[in-house]
Amino acid sequence: MSDVSAAPTAGAATPVPVPPPEPTRRRRSTTGVMRSMELDPRLFGMLVALAIIWVGFNIGSGGTFLTARNLWNLSVQTAPVGIMATGMVLVIVSRNIDLSVGSMLAVLGMAMAILQVEWIPSWLGLDHPLTWVIALGAGVVLGAAIGAFQGAIVAYAAVPAFIVTLGGLLIWRGVAWAMASGRTIAPLDPTFRTIGGGADGTIGGPATWVLAVLACVGVVALLVASRRRRRKYEFALRPLWADVVIGVVGTGAILGAAWVLNSYPKPGTDEAQGLAYPVVIMIAVGLFMTFLANRTRFGRYVFAIGGNPEAAELGGIKTRWTLVKTFMLIGVLVAIAAAVTTGRLNAATSGLGQLNELYVIAAAVIGGTSLSGGIGTIPGALVGALVAQSLQSGMVLMGVDAPLQDIVVGVVLVVAVALDTVYRRRVK
Amino acid sequence: MLPVAALVLAGCGSDDADTDTTADETAAETEAAGDDTGDLTIGVSWNNFNEERWAKADEKAMKEVFDAEGVEYISTDAGSSPEQQVADVENLISQGADALIILAQDGTAILPAVEAAAAQGIPVVGYDRLIESPEAFYLTFDNVEVGRMQARAIYEEVPEGNYVFIKGNQADANADFLRGGQEEVLTEAAGCEAVTPDNPDPDCPITNVGESYTDNWAPEVAQTNMEQFLTQNNNEVDAVVASNDGMAGGVVAALEAQGLAGQVPVSGQDGDAAALNRVALGTQTVSVWKNAFALGAAAADIAVQLAQGAEFADISVDVAAIDPAYESSAPAAGPDAAAFTTPGGVEVTSIILNPIPVTQENLNEPIDAGWVETDVVCAGDVDTAAVPACE
Repeated sequence: MSDVSAAPTAGAATPVPVPPPEPTRRRRSTTGVMRSMELDPRLFGMLVALAIIWVGFNIGSGGTFLTARNLWNLSVQTAPVGIMATGMVLVIVSRNIDLSVGSMLAVLGMAMAILQVEWIPSWLGLDHPLTWVIALGAGVVLGAAIGAFQGAIVAYAAVPAFIVTLGGLLIWRGVAWAMASGRTIAPLDPTFRTIGGGADGTIGGPATWVLAVLACVGVVALLVASRRRRRKYEFALRPLWADVVIGVVGTGAILGAAWVLNSYPKPGTDEAQGLAYPVVIMIAVGLFMTFLANRTRFGRYVFAIGGNPEAAELGGIKTRWTLVKTFMLIGVLVAIAAAVTTGRLNAATSGLGQLNELYVIAAAVIGGTSLSGGIGTIPGALVGALVAQSLQSGMVLMGVDAPLQDIVVGVVLVVAVALDTVYRRRVK
Repeated sequence: MLPVAALVLAGCGSDDADTDTTADETAAETEAAGDDTGDLTIGVSWNNFNEERWAKADEKAMKEVFDAEGVEYISTDAGSSPEQQVADVENLISQGADALIILAQDGTAILPAVEAAAAQGIPVVGYDRLIESPEAFYLTFDNVEVGRMQARAIYEEVPEGNYVFIKGNQADANADFLRGGQEEVLTEAAGCEAVTPDNPDPDCPITNVGESYTDNWAPEVAQTNMEQFLTQNNNEVDAVVASNDGMAGGVVAALEAQGLAGQVPVSGQDGDAAALNRVALGTQTVSVWKNAFALGAAAADIAVQLAQGAEFADISVDVAAIDPAYESSAPAAGPDAAAFTTPGGVEVTSIILNPIPVTQENLNEPIDAGWVETDVVCAGDVDTAAVPACE
């Protein structure tokens, strides 16, 4: 979760030429404050919505929702959808869609499970220390291959991504079933299981504090570097108070999250759980994907293609190859999510990941990614995933039954996008 | 759903009285039939033969009976397509089948084919899944009993305490059949009005501390729900009644993360290899298993009787006589056909076999039947003293 709180600063660190602040001091309105802090108002709005949801559920569940234990659960439960949503952002930004992620998750989970339960033990023996590496590596390669295959059809054969991945949704579900004739593959390799969290799948209390402090140092360093760079290129400086507020809030949120996760002890002991591996993976993926989207040529190209495909092509961007890469990227992320899901469940079934495509797309869209392309942020998608999972977990705590849960998630999706659309029109 | 459950009960119970008189006669009939079946042909229409189970268990058991009786077996595979299956049945009829066994992809879409068969005087056995027609003899397992067996096994371990109920998909009628059976056993055994979440009975020794449907029976959803129930109750959960083995796997994973696996009894159904392994390891208490071999053998036996001209009402099957290993699947209501009213209000003739609750004591049953391999069931650190099948 700490990457989420660090996100506004990371995003804001991009030097953007803004007109110099007016010399006459006016009374600071809320929007004025937000503007001088260069906060993304949509992300800010989402965080406020998340806070309202959390407080609401906490009251509704008699104080259970905001316990360290539930927030820890929530962080782990969010991980698979969060990991996939970061890739979905780039796919949607490039004006495509991937409906096959849920079925792909089943195929990749099944492949990794069969590999480690049936194949690797016959080559290397049971409980070999390399089992999890080989299984995960094979899953990632297979995920990239499936993504490249679908992406190539979309990019080079010009078949709409909706159709290609709708086909994929059916095909990969069938393949997952055929791989083991519908059997459940279990139990998995003990090391592989820790990828999904569980009793041994956490980094522990001290390591969590170390990570949190490193993250705080990173936030401050980014702020300082950003000021220095702006001064060097003579861009407008953010007022010092704004940088200080961002720094204090950012580091406070990171340390707070670490404190919450560390106050949930391992069952039967006083030892702190700390961050679970799947959450560490989600944060690492989030940081990497944010970097990829904002700071690399590939990321710029994806946004350029989404903004105006013809112009991007005429501008000399290899649009087709770039699209294939976005699909490969989401394939790799689905493989990681599949490892988390199967590791967590300690089993692979052909029904794994059903409806995940919708939750992943919902997370990206709730997080401000525009289905018409060109707009979207990675931190937004992670917060979107957290919002969607909070709704589901919270409703279970309150004893709301499954059909009603689906209704609420559906309504929230539509309302979130409606609000976003209205907001965007007003800004224009 | 409860009225239907009651009807199932009524259907099963109504013929109890005259069971004794007819059982002997039927045995004699079957004997006689075994000697001279002429050159009968039985056609079987599978809905989707790709599923491992049908070839491994059901068809194998059917063929054994047909071979013993000297009956010719022909079959078709509809590949999950209801339209294809209608054509398949017509095809089997033109190939000269004297009786049909139909595993319906869609119990309503198959009706034209069943009517066509009836018009030509060819009797039909609806196999495993209901065909909503009085022209088809209904042979299946007792789904309400599955729920009862799950609850019974859990109640034996935990007669009082906090229960969690992990139910199946809300759109699937079976989810409520199972829950109905569980409710019936628990209310009666504990002497409560209900064990629903809003139980008005304050003296009930069983407290329902969490109950939830599970989208698509998905194990990962069951796991998340179980985590929430554990959080909500601060781990004070004494027993979990899960409706199938996949979801039981999710529940056990959630319990394991809290160090509670093996301490909290968990139920399931299907006899999944992974679940039977959990039973051996002690992390799951029971997996209710439907012996597909017994079902296949019973269907073959019924089809032969029908092909020889027996009326639906005269049908009687002694599964133990076919193979002593099938004894525990024998219908609770006795071997004779009985009336059964379907959820759609159609009165059909049926035989309803008994499922088997598999625990550590009788783990050998699915192994002996050839349903699973011993090394799969007994994989890992199994306490062989407690699990005779793994010695």
